[in-house]
Amino acid sequence: MAHSVKKYRGLMDWITTVDHKKIGILYFAAGGLFFVIGGIEALLIRLQLMFPLGADGESWLLSGQTYNEIMTMHGTTMIFLAAMPLIFGLMNAVVPLQIGARDVAFPFLNSLGFWTFFFGGVLLNISWFTGTVPDIGWTAYAPLSGTEFSGTGSDYYAIGLQIAGIGTLVGGINFLVTIINMRAPGMTFMRMPLFTWTSFITSGIILFAFPALAVGLIYISFDRLFDANFFVTATGGNSVLWEHIFWIFGHPEVYILILPAFGAISEVLPTFARKRLFGYSSMVFATALIGFLSFMVWAHHMFTTGMGDIANALFGVATMLIAIPTGIKVFNWLFTIWGGKIRFTTAMLYATSFIPTFVMGGVTGVMLAIPPADFQFHDSYFVVAHFHYVIVGGIVLSLLAAVFYWWPKMFGRMLNETLGKWSFWLFFSGFHLTFFIQHFLGLWGMPRRVFTYLPNQGWDTANFVSTIGAFFMAAGVIVILINVIISIKGPKAPADPWDGRTLEWSIPSPSPEYNFKQLPLVRGLDAFWLEKMDGKKEMTPAEPLGPIHMPSPSILPFFMSLGLFIAGFGFMYRGYEFDSALINSLFGNDIIAILGLAITFVCMFLRSVYDDHGYHIEVEELQKEG
Amino acid sequence: MEANQEQVQDRVKRGTIHEGPKNHIIAFVISIFLTLLAFMAVANTALDATFIKIFIVILAIFQAVIQLAFWMHMKDRGHFFQILFLATGTFVAITAFIMAIYWVWW
Ligand code: HEM
Ligand SMILES: [Cu+2]
Repeated sequence: MAHSVKKYRGLMDWITTVDHKKIGILYFAAGGLFFVIGGIEALLIRLQLMFPLGADGESWLLSGQTYNEIMTMHGTTMIFLAAMPLIFGLMNAVVPLQIGARDVAFPFLNSLGFWTFFFGGVLLNISWFTGTVPDIGWTAYAPLSGTEFSGTGSDYYAIGLQIAGIGTLVGGINFLVTIINMRAPGMTFMRMPLFTWTSFITSGIILFAFPALAVGLIYISFDRLFDANFFVTATGGNSVLWEHIFWIFGHPEVYILILPAFGAISEVLPTFARKRLFGYSSMVFATALIGFLSFMVWAHHMFTTGMGDIANALFGVATMLIAIPTGIKVFNWLFTIWGGKIRFTTAMLYATSFIPTFVMGGVTGVMLAIPPADFQFHDSYFVVAHFHYVIVGGIVLSLLAAVFYWWPKMFGRMLNETLGKWSFWLFFSGFHLTFFIQHFLGLWGMPRRVFTYLPNQGWDTANFVSTIGAFFMAAGVIVILINVIISIKGPKAPADPWDGRTLEWSIPSPSPEYNFKQLPLVRGLDAFWLEKMDGKKEMTPAEPLGPIHMPSPSILPFFMSLGLFIAGFGFMYRGYEFDSALINSLFGNDIIAILGLAITFVCMFLRSVYDDHGYHIEVEELQKEG
Repeated sequence: MEANQEQVQDRVKRGTIHEGPKNHIIAFVISIFLTLLAFMAVANTALDATFIKIFIVILAIFQAVIQLAFWMHMKDRGHFFQILFLATGTFVAITAFIMAIYWVWW
């Protein structure tokens, strides 16, 4: 029996949605917004460093304090609020379609994951308006992040990331269960597309790595807000402990980011080379091995901490081991396009340029993994060059490839190819112009995280060049934004614009809310391609047409996250001395925190007692839609 | 009758019908017994301290296995992934521990 379900429109639809495709778009919108904010911060950083300290001893643009704030927020925003959500957006948009599922395993949790990330990000950025911005670097090393050396800004960092981190953990668990349980008939593990595989392994890494961050942030928060002493040396704490906790999370984090990027590249290259992925099973194996090794190398960020020769040597060697599975992947990509019938679409341009660029970042990584050499490189611009090569040259280039590739499926519109190519050349040349020279700046002795430098040390020209490159990148991003805006009125996308190989191309663009009218029968790797090669136009259905069960939309995740957001402020300001007595009596106590937590718990309670069985889309409706 | 018995066994293993209280009672008794042993060991001043430590850690491992197998249903079919993830998580945590303690002695 079809019982009616409340359908929302407009803003309410977006706030209450549990549809993975819409949540994917929300992740894209929020991640894109934070990417632009982080980009503006990057431009300010580069502008400041464009010129050395003036003869009058005055910095020409930013003060040291402001620079530290912008630099900290740039790193934190880019990693946690731009790269992570964009990757989750892609996973939401693509993974269920690739495995032939109608939804993710936990649609409600999916929405909760988005809103906690979003509110965490907003909380962090509200610090710009309250005037106490985090200024401790994205790594927040103790004791700098303790009360002795930094102000409320560090609370924004700890609490904002704590809330956003819940979202990531929830999302990771959701995708693990989705991929394990929701695969279409015949979709065995070794028939899963590589993007799904890498999303799976990434979710596994999230499951094991993010708790370390959560614990570390709780330690910091307790040190700061409740006078604990985990990292306070004077009272018996250990500040190096934070470095360990942070990097036990932090190194896996960089692989959380790069693995889905690898996956996207492994989808784009075969499609536009019209060949199957070379060495599929070795790719899967390499992905798993990287995921595993990523937990064993964290101390390569700490060679100069004084761990001792043995620890340094062992962690150095463990780190270099990662280059082996990574190398396997690089060669497989090269063999995939080797001899293929290559079409250089925008997506393909981004994907092919990814390969050499990422390899350069990997090579400097191995150089950094040599402890005696790292004593020279550490905390210099060489490290800055390394991680921008892997993060921008690796993750961002492949994300852009993925965006141009999957955009038609997500939005039902094509992006403009000419503009796309312009954006590529601007971004790609700008990127190398900005960061290649930074290797040398590092080798010439320029330290990292400085807000200015004295003239005539041989760094002036290189810094100037680097800043020019940043403007090219910014121009590239602006062209992409223009492309996105005009695509709203752009040509409608066909179901299979690229002659794709995987299941998502077998359904209309954009896909209907139930994805697959009938679940497809998967007969092998590159399931849709197999059918096409047999002369068929669509997948063989694995089930008769029947009513489709759908989850109901819900506003609860939004309010649960809002509650945490309010509680976050409560905790931050409960011991704060406000100037005005009135404000002090309102906010300088535990009431706000209790109120916020109460909202969250009431929502959890409602969710537990109120049974919502969702609704069905009936066969007649399905047939009407054709 | 014989075949029927087998079918029931099969459905129990798949978790489609409830297996009844027998296993749970046994597991409960064993759990209590292990806990008692641990308490008795620490209360007994005659024993060597190192021995007690090793002894109760071993008891704890048994305890954990029993809890997971019976109460968290790890012994039943369809729990491959749960076991896989528990094992990987444990392995990662233990290696990190060993590396931190024996490689990085701060
Ligand atoms: C072959 C692979 C890699 C190796 C051997 C490697 C090695 C290293 C080493 C030894 C450092 C520490 C340098 C120092 O602080 O003195 C480092 C820093 C860094 N790496 Fe990598 N890396 C690799 C790949 C990656 C990837 C794929 C990413 C990101 C997706 C990444 C992101 C970073 C970041 C963000 C830092 C700087 C952290 C900070 O201090 O803020 N690396 N890498
Ligand atoms: Cu690392």
